[in-house]
Amino acid sequence: MANRVNLQGNQACALGAIAAGCTFYGGYPITPSSEVAEAMARELPKVGGTFIQMEDEIASMGAVVGASMGGVKAMTATSGPGFSLKQENLGYACGAEIPCVIVNVMRGGPSTGMPTRPAQGDVMQARWGTHGDHPIIVLTPASVSECYTETIRAFDLTEQLRVPVIVLIDEVIGHLVETVDLDDLTPQTTVSRKFADTPVEGFEPYAVTEDMIPPFPRPGDGYRSHTTGLTHMPNGFPTQNPAKAEAALTRTTDKLVLHKDLIEFCQLIECAGADLVIVAIGISARAAEQAVRDLRGQGVNVGLFRPLTLWPFPETTLKAAVQGAKAVLVPEMNQGQMVLEVERLMAGDLPVHALNKIDGEAITPSEIAAKVKEVL
Amino acid sequence: MDDFEVRFSGSGGQGLILSAKFLSAALVAEGFSVAQSQSYEPVSRGGLSRSDLVVSKGQAAFPLSRGLDYLLILDGAAAQASNDLLGKDSLVMVDSELVPEPPKGAFRVLNLPFAETARKLGNKRVANIVALSALVACSGICKLETLEQIVRGKTPPKFATLNLEAFEAGCALGVQGA
Repeated sequence: MANRVNLQGNQACALGAIAAGCTFYGGYPITPSSEVAEAMARELPKVGGTFIQMEDEIASMGAVVGASMGGVKAMTATSGPGFSLKQENLGYACGAEIPCVIVNVMRGGPSTGMPTRPAQGDVMQARWGTHGDHPIIVLTPASVSECYTETIRAFDLTEQLRVPVIVLIDEVIGHLVETVDLDDLTPQTTVSRKFADTPVEGFEPYAVTEDMIPPFPRPGDGYRSHTTGLTHMPNGFPTQNPAKAEAALTRTTDKLVLHKDLIEFCQLIECAGADLVIVAIGISARAAEQAVRDLRGQGVNVGLFRPLTLWPFPETTLKAAVQGAKAVLVPEMNQGQMVLEVERLMAGDLPVHALNKIDGEAITPSEIAAKVKEVL
Repeated sequence: MDDFEVRFSGSGGQGLILSAKFLSAALVAEGFSVAQSQSYEPVSRGGLSRSDLVVSKGQAAFPLSRGLDYLLILDGAAAQASNDLLGKDSLVMVDSELVPEPPKGAFRVLNLPFAETARKLGNKRVANIVALSALVACSGICKLETLEQIVRGKTPPKFATLNLEAFEAGCALGVQGA
């Protein structure tokens, strides 16, 4: 039965989280992400979940990590200034392999910047915001329905892989209201983490398994476990033994390489035979999609590559998508972040052009179309 | 008409986003897909405020306005803010009292007393509902009955009578303009 409703991007993130089985939200509201917290405060009690507003973003991220260590699906949401504060405990979750989902609705920055205006300036912070070599997954919905489905995918990935997942949205998409049919979007099944079920004796919380994902000890099941932000051995205790330290760190990052096919997700629109391929995320991708339609109507062969999984960047898929193209264009609402990754992958084989906007307004289809005509 | 764009503009606190939500719900009830966006300043009253509807059959590729078919202006602060998005087929409806200098161009401009009508009903805050039903009565972008049901369904009991009076008064203004 059709269940057509007008839903906001932020609210869709919250409903997606509930559909994915999230039962804990630790938050500290901040524009333009506050509606995620608002919706979770309303929805979580209905499913027996827990909503807690902490004293700040650092504590809220700590609460999320703690809840997840307790065995439940947990999330938080924030925007630039709060995302900066969450990085410390996010790094702990990366190191200790604690599943969690963080929605970051990007606004103008740096610092408090422009609270109600959109930006895409956290592309690199989402990847490298916390220190050290660390695994992380970043997803980029570009519509209200994708806010719903990608938040569900974020939970599925974080639970399966024990890697924190960022849902990276810009203010336009977070505050956009679109008509969606929830019945079309809700999955039949969702995924939970693999809990330990081996004998308690000799259990190692960071055991090296074939899939590189250690089974998670459920509190109360009797497993002895030690969790730390220090580099640790399979038994969970710290080590500075060079071989053991390297092996431990390498496993957490190699894990993403091993499970690349599960993580990677992109949309290709008219890339086959395109003279120019646009690479874009979020609202910039929606503008690019319209520009592709408009330009194709004028006989200009242009395509769109949209990495819904932004990090790890879908390298081989992009390289295949630009076969035969003469140039690549990266429109983004920052001074040039994703373009750096695209330039790295093109490695001088194709010219990579940038279209940047940092005035608090979204990039428009006509701006993209004009740039395409200029560089082709 | 399959695809069209509507903007409600004015100053923060006028209920523009609420009007847009009502119209959006009515359009969805009639089978359209709507993308509603808004822009406002980090203040609770005042500042430039607007809400846009991009209406289509199926999801729009680009959800923000590119060219307005209908523009409502309820405050002088917003009078010239949308000029770049107006074309010869645009219909502009402005408050005759609060927008002393409406945009000028090859498009049709209607000056209507939204604020004055609301004041006569006893509460200037319902100018947004007067303007909303005037827009729909004048343009025919959805059925007035559909919109009325939405207004009834979404108004708290305390304001039900006032909002419905505003709705009726707006319809009368809109029919005159059509």
